[in-house]
Order: sequence, then C-alpha cells, then structure tokens
Amino acid sequence: MSTADVVVRIDGLVKHYGKVEAVRGIDLEVRRGEVYGFLGPNGAGKSTTIRCLLGLLRPTAGRIGAFGLDSTRDGVALRRRLAYLPGELRLPERRSGMDLVASIGRLRGGFDAARRDGLAERLRLDLHRPLRDLSSGNRRKVALLLAFLADAELLVLDEPTSGLDPLIQHEFLVLVREACAAGATVFLSSHVLSEVQRAAARVAVLRAGKVVAEGTVAELRGRARQRIEVWFEDQAPAAELRSLPGVVDPIIDGHRFTATLSGSIQPLLDLLARHQVSSMLVEEPDLEEAFLDLYGGAA
Amino acid sequence: MTAPLRELVVGPLRAMRRATFWWSVGLASLVGITVAFWPAFEGSSGISAAITQLPAGVVQAFGLENFGTPAGFLRGNLYDFFVPLLLAAAAVVLVNGQTAGEEASGRLELYLAQPVDRRMVFLGRAIATLVALAVITAVITAVQLGVDAAVGLQIESSYLLSTIALCALLAVFHGSLALAIAGLRGRPSLVMGIGLAVALAGCLVVALFPLSTVLASWQHLSPWDWAFGGGPLEHTTEAWRYLALAIPSVALAGIGVMAVARRDVAAA
Repeated sequence: MSTADVVVRIDGLVKHYGKVEAVRGIDLEVRRGEVYGFLGPNGAGKSTTIRCLLGLLRPTAGRIGAFGLDSTRDGVALRRRLAYLPGELRLPERRSGMDLVASIGRLRGGFDAARRDGLAERLRLDLHRPLRDLSSGNRRKVALLLAFLADAELLVLDEPTSGLDPLIQHEFLVLVREACAAGATVFLSSHVLSEVQRAAARVAVLRAGKVVAEGTVAELRGRARQRIEVWFEDQAPAAELRSLPGVVDPIIDGHRFTATLSGSIQPLLDLLARHQVSSMLVEEPDLEEAFLDLYGGAA
Repeated sequence: MTAPLRELVVGPLRAMRRATFWWSVGLASLVGITVAFWPAFEGSSGISAAITQLPAGVVQAFGLENFGTPAGFLRGNLYDFFVPLLLAAAAVVLVNGQTAGEEASGRLELYLAQPVDRRMVFLGRAIATLVALAVITAVITAVQLGVDAAVGLQIESSYLLSTIALCALLAVFHGSLALAIAGLRGRPSLVMGIGLAVALAGCLVVALFPLSTVLASWQHLSPWDWAFGGGPLEHTTEAWRYLALAIPSVALAGIGVMAVARRDVAAA
C-alpha cells in the first residue's frame, strides 16, 4: 500500500489525563475511500483518539494525523479537509438550524444552498426551528447535515446514528456510501456494533485504550464463537470431542454433542468425517459475540 | 477582515445580545435613578453636616467627601464603587461565558473542529466582548449626560467622560485577566472566581489601605488606584493612567489568546 493510499495514520498514540491512561499506544491506518469502523465500549479511548486527530487534544506521545498532516502542527490545514460529527453533541440553543449552518458555512468558505436543502429534505429536518426546540434525534440530524454538507475528503463520525430512527439510520448509510463513491474516506466510531457492521469494511476494536483486534468484518466474524450441536448415529466419541482445539463447555449426552467453538471449525469437521453423523447444527457466528469476547471484562 | 474572522466576532456578538442589553439596562438604570435624586441632595446642609460627624476614615473609604457637590455625589454614589465594580463584573461574566463557559458546555468544540485557528476563535470572542463593553459604556454615558441635563447636575463633561472611560478600561483589564485564565485553564469557576475576586480585592485595597499608615503605600498596586487615584471627576486625568490599564490589558489578552493553542480543549 503506497503512502498516498493512507488517509489517517496513527503511530504509537498515547494520551494521559493526569494519572488516567485514556489511550495506551494505538497504531492504525485508514485507507483512502474506505469506511473504517472504530469499535469499543464507552471509555475505551475512541473519542479521545478522535479528539487528538482533530487537534483538540495534544498527544502525550506518538503521532496522529491525516493526509500527511500532523494534527497538532497542521491543525487548520487538516481540519479544512475533514468534517466531524461529535459524539457528545452540544449546539447553540438560541440559534436556528439554518443560522448555525450559515455560521459554520462562513467558517468553511461557504456551503452550497441547494445541497443544504436537499440534505435537509433527505434527513426530514426543518432547519428553520430554533435548536432548543429540536429533539435529540433532530439535533443529531443537524450535525449529520453539517458533516455531509462540508463535502470533505475525510468524514470523522463519532456515534453518528445515536438517537436516530431506523429510516434516518438507513438514509445515513446511503449518505456514507455516496460519500465513499465520491472518493471520501469515513472514520466511523461507535460502541453500537450493528451500526459499524452495516457500514464498515474494516474495523478496529478498542479496549482500555488499546487496539485488541483489527481486520475486516468477515475476519472478525471468523473469530467469533459458534454454537454447534451434533447428533451421532452411535455414541458420541467423548474423548475425541473433548480434546478438540477451541471447544468450550462441551456437553456429551449419549448421541448428542453440544459445545461452543472458537476458532476454526476444520478440526471438528475432520473428526466428524470419521464418524456417522445423523444431523448437525452450526449457528451463524454473531459479530456481537466476537465483539463481546474482545471486550472481555470491559463489556 | 476575512469572512471567517468576521464570523468569529459577529457570531459571539450575536450570542451576547441579550446579556449586553440587560447589563446596559441595569447599569443605565442605576446611573439614571441615582442622578435623578441629585436635586434632593443639592445644597442639603443636613446631609453634609451628618457626613462630617462620621470618622474621617469612613468618609474616605466610602468616597463621601464633598457629598454635597456634583463630583462628590457622583463619586460616593456611583463612580468610586458601584459602576466600576459592576462593569468589571460584566466584563468577567461576558468573557467567561464566551470562552471557558462555552468550552465546558462543549459548544466551543463545534467551532474548534472547523478549519480555524484556536487563537483566532479566542481573539474573535475577545473583540466581541470589547464591542459589548463599548455598547454598555456608551449607554451609561448617554444616560448620565441625559439625566444630568434633566436634573441640572452640573459637572465638567470632560471629567465625566474621563471617569466613565477609566471605568471601561478597568473593566477591560478585568476582562483581559479573565481571558488569560480562560486561555490557560478553561475552567469557568476559576475564571469567575479569580476575575471577580481580583476586582473586589482591588476595590477594597483602594478603599481600606489608605486608612492604615502601614498599608497606605500599597494601595498603588491596585488597578483601581491607577484608574481613579487622580480624582478624575475633579481633575484632568494624566495620560499614563489610561496606559497603565491598557498595556496590561493587551498583555493579559495576548497571554489568553496564545495559551489556548497550547493546551487540551475540555470535553463536554
């Protein structure tokens, strides 16, 4: 992968708040045009990493930036090329959505009015109402509109669909795909697995300030525990089954064998090939389970 | 001024419209109502006689010398204590609201995430607060001059304008101090606490220290002494008094603007 293909680059990022180690050495790269999921429970260090990327926080150690720009040294140039949707959304109460959009537009060199109105319509958002009168979901729509209106090369979205109804969540996914088709890169942070699962191609899972897993959604699913149930024609080969790698909590009851399997299913299939099997059930691996496994005690 | 910088000034100015209005109304009402009572005090030998019965220190501390004269009346009732202290409080409150308050609430993050320099954001808010203070001061001045004419309070207008200008500069000094603290730390309680405590302490120093032979010379450390030590309602104000307030104000504001770029921005 060439340097030009890497949009976001994080090298050994460490961030401490006094004695609290919020981020403890993160390394990752986000490639041009991809949707990169950034998963983790609350307090894992996702928002801290994003705030470092925006230049709102100064890293304790390591480097973070995008487009070859350093977030601390080249903050203004970097932010010119990205749009950000904050997780903790605080908007000026007394202003209307239209007023806020105009204000942010003036800071970014102007927004396209037709695109603004089109996005507002797609998000079913009335921009003329004062922000204090909007529900939390509608406020998030205002922030979503601001993020997509900026026409940025990099979209940094922190918990983007929190509080949105399913229709708007679907519209959000469409907007993400459109942005990627237009060449944008999306850095999508969330603690909601389904949100990332639907949008992202690659994900990093954070736990306690460190990346504990990184890969494609399919790879992560491959690591998931699968619940299996096998009925043998004869007595189940208890000793062989118990010695299989990755078998957790096996229950052998006459002809029936149930267990949870982590890792590859191939050793089990090899064993079954040597026996008469009457039926077999393998449940679809749930990414939620993989996610919870990775979270471990933090989930 | 570029469009982004104009937005960084005009946006906060619009957000301060109500606060500017109510501070103007409050201070103008205080000035107007107080001056309206001047005819009741003018030439009242009874009040002057009662004041002469008070200990000299108390008279001095509360600015009651020459209470029966226009300058003494305005000093004792308005410009020795209330107007400068309230104007300084307005400056601290407005700066805090636009900087540390916005940061602590998380609303500043929306703007700092845009392609603007953090120092420009703070500078824009400092300029906006300066404009708001100028509006409040202009309203006070207009009401003072208008009611003076209505009730026949005769005072040299240049002295009056100097006094109000010094009040405004003292407020700018405290606003700049608040900006410096906001730039260094960004905690609203710290900005309000230090800003208001310094204003009140400065006032008490010039009121009480002269009563003590040991502390008297230390009163010159107070910005209030730099502003009002020359008796601006009765004498021409020396130019250095304006500079003594303006120069540290610029320095403190500069510290605030530069410091905010060198620290973390607080999360909501």
